[in-house]
Amino acid sequence: MNKVVQMLLVLTSIGIISGGLLAVVSGWADPLIAANQKAATEAAIFRVKPEGKKYEQIKNAGFELYKVMNENDQNSGYALVYQGNGFSGKIRLIAGLSEDLNNISAIEVLDQVETPGLGTKIVEEPFTSQFLKLETSPKIDWVKGEKPDKPNEIQTITGATISSKAVVAILNDGISRLKKLRESGGLK
Amino acid sequence: METLAQTETKQKVYFDLTTSPHLHSGWSTSKVMWFVNLALAPSIAAALVFFGLYQILIILTAVIFAVGTEALIQFIRKKEITWFDGSAALTGLLLALTLPPNFSLSATAIGSIVAIGLGKQIFGGIGYNIFNPALVGRAFLQAAFPVQITTWTKPNFAVDSVSSATPLAAFKFDKFITDTSSLALGNVGGSLGETSALAVLIGGIFLIVVGIVNWRIPVSMIIGMFFFSGIFWLINPQQYPSPVFQIFAGSFLFGAMFMATDWVTSPITNKGMWIFGLGISLVLVVIRIFGGLPEGVMYSILIMNAFVPMINRFTRPRTFGALKEEKK
Amino acid sequence: MKKQVTLSKEFLKGVWDNNPVLKQLLGLCPTLAVTVSAINGLAMGLAATFVLVMASLLISTIRKIIPPQVRIASFIVIIATFVTIVDLVMKAKFPDLSKALGPFIPLIVVNCVILGRQEAFASKNNPGRAFLDAIGMGAGFTIALLVLGGIREIIGSRTFFGLQIMPDQFEPWLIMILPAGAFLTLGLLLGAVNVYADRKKRLEHESLVAHYKRVGREELIEELEVK
Repeated sequence: MNKVVQMLLVLTSIGIISGGLLAVVSGWADPLIAANQKAATEAAIFRVKPEGKKYEQIKNAGFELYKVMNENDQNSGYALVYQGNGFSGKIRLIAGLSEDLNNISAIEVLDQVETPGLGTKIVEEPFTSQFLKLETSPKIDWVKGEKPDKPNEIQTITGATISSKAVVAILNDGISRLKKLRESGGLK
Repeated sequence: METLAQTETKQKVYFDLTTSPHLHSGWSTSKVMWFVNLALAPSIAAALVFFGLYQILIILTAVIFAVGTEALIQFIRKKEITWFDGSAALTGLLLALTLPPNFSLSATAIGSIVAIGLGKQIFGGIGYNIFNPALVGRAFLQAAFPVQITTWTKPNFAVDSVSSATPLAAFKFDKFITDTSSLALGNVGGSLGETSALAVLIGGIFLIVVGIVNWRIPVSMIIGMFFFSGIFWLINPQQYPSPVFQIFAGSFLFGAMFMATDWVTSPITNKGMWIFGLGISLVLVVIRIFGGLPEGVMYSILIMNAFVPMINRFTRPRTFGALKEEKK
Repeated sequence: MKKQVTLSKEFLKGVWDNNPVLKQLLGLCPTLAVTVSAINGLAMGLAATFVLVMASLLISTIRKIIPPQVRIASFIVIIATFVTIVDLVMKAKFPDLSKALGPFIPLIVVNCVILGRQEAFASKNNPGRAFLDAIGMGAGFTIALLVLGGIREIIGSRTFFGLQIMPDQFEPWLIMILPAGAFLTLGLLLGAVNVYADRKKRLEHESLVAHYKRVGREELIEELEVK
């Protein structure tokens, strides 16, 4: 009987002490983690919309969407965070769009688990710079192994066609949802 | 192998104690290896004709580094150095023939070193390796340099309709079917040795006739390919290519004749060979039709290599005179 | 009475003789998964070392209170507490590194090096020795991961700690930063370690035989052979 009591006592106290300790640490860390995430999002928004000075989230869009304002407090476009399937997992990216949604200002890949050295090139230049000033209508298209000659085309990465196409598909998906949202007046 | 005379010259006289088989077919390892090398001559010739003389450098690099690696490792491990038994040369040659034309020579050398070092010698040398060494080298190169190894060049006599993409890639991504006569002759994009089905068949049939290659493995692979890819073709001829195309395109025939039939890494029983061949074609059809890659001969042979010990175990013939085991 | 080893040996055994990765083959999951670069290997090693040291100190301090029936449960709760602390601190202070190591920081909980040392050492020795043992094992783990990560980074992406050290002409071997490269590198590394250890043992044996011959104690040589 004595042994059982001791077992219960020791395990319980270890649990209580651990729990207390973790509560203290997470009380200190949680605001920092939240601040990190907010700072990361903010930095990404201003990287894809360089002329932006302020932003606010559009809450009822159904996906992550930010309205970006320039220095005169006028609407200068949108920053869209969207995700979809890549070659070996989810790709999450942010895209800056002009106010009429017809041009991309820049994109940045936020999270990806593509093949190192191949699919991971979607994060880097020169792939990402192809999206500067890219036209989004009727939709973004891709060409393989040759220089793109239309204003709405990009070239896929050699050896990482699937990842490149995934980025295009995710952008097309997100932008078409955004356009639908505009038609239904959700952007007002 | 030591001869008795060599054994006796040593201080301690002992008998060579080995397990069966004790019968010798009269074919020494080196004779077999040089015959297989000879059988690859038509494929080498086809590669030179269609892709240019530079390819001879790839072949030479692969062979020299394969033989050199073998000798170096045997020297370090203080084993008898078997330069000239032709097995390392054959591994190098087979590896070279699976590479794309104009492949970089330094990467070819790396492939040869890996093929012999990690594919063969690390298991203890000839006869002990589980996986086909040339394919181990090829798989390593595929993972290490995925872009270069899928960069194809147009063959010399390309007509306009022939692109630099391999016929399988052309079908997978653009639904373009290369005509069978181009495939048979070899006037298409692809690895050095695989493009000319005719050259491969000449070499393969020569090996079957002289009795080095057991016909069961290539035949079962072809039957299996015909059957499994035929099912898909009958379901939807637009979506899936015909069995004839599947057999002639890519490295299927080359794999069936030269890679899957490697003595060390294929089953020893007749029944086992059938299982092995059918297994390869089943895995291959799955890779080609459902996988992200257009080609999969290499992986399907390597995968079935891993099953060979198990196949041998379960197809072991009954000992002569033994009774059938009663079911419990 | 147990044979007492010197304190420095208590520390050094983890670094080489009983290196958790190279000799005991423990904790291979993080070893193989995170070592795509030297910095990842180092960070993983340091995080695991921190958890190992803290858990060993605490467990060896309270080892007499913990009833043997619930010792594994207690160890795991204590380890998990420290792991969660490390995870939270890294997320708060080093978000980039935390992102790179992904789910492998929380998985330190089930790293068998840590639980293994608690069961095999910390729960049977005083805190001083437990501390030295933990530091040694942690150092051995960190060194092994750093070497693996370094080799894979140099060959797989031409860099070391992010600095390019291989020339541009060198085409990186992508396989080295893929999972297959982890298995190949670890296998070759283990082979090299074994070759070295075998040779050292043989040389020691030979010098001992020579010594016995010199002093004329041939009967001891036979004793060695039996061993």
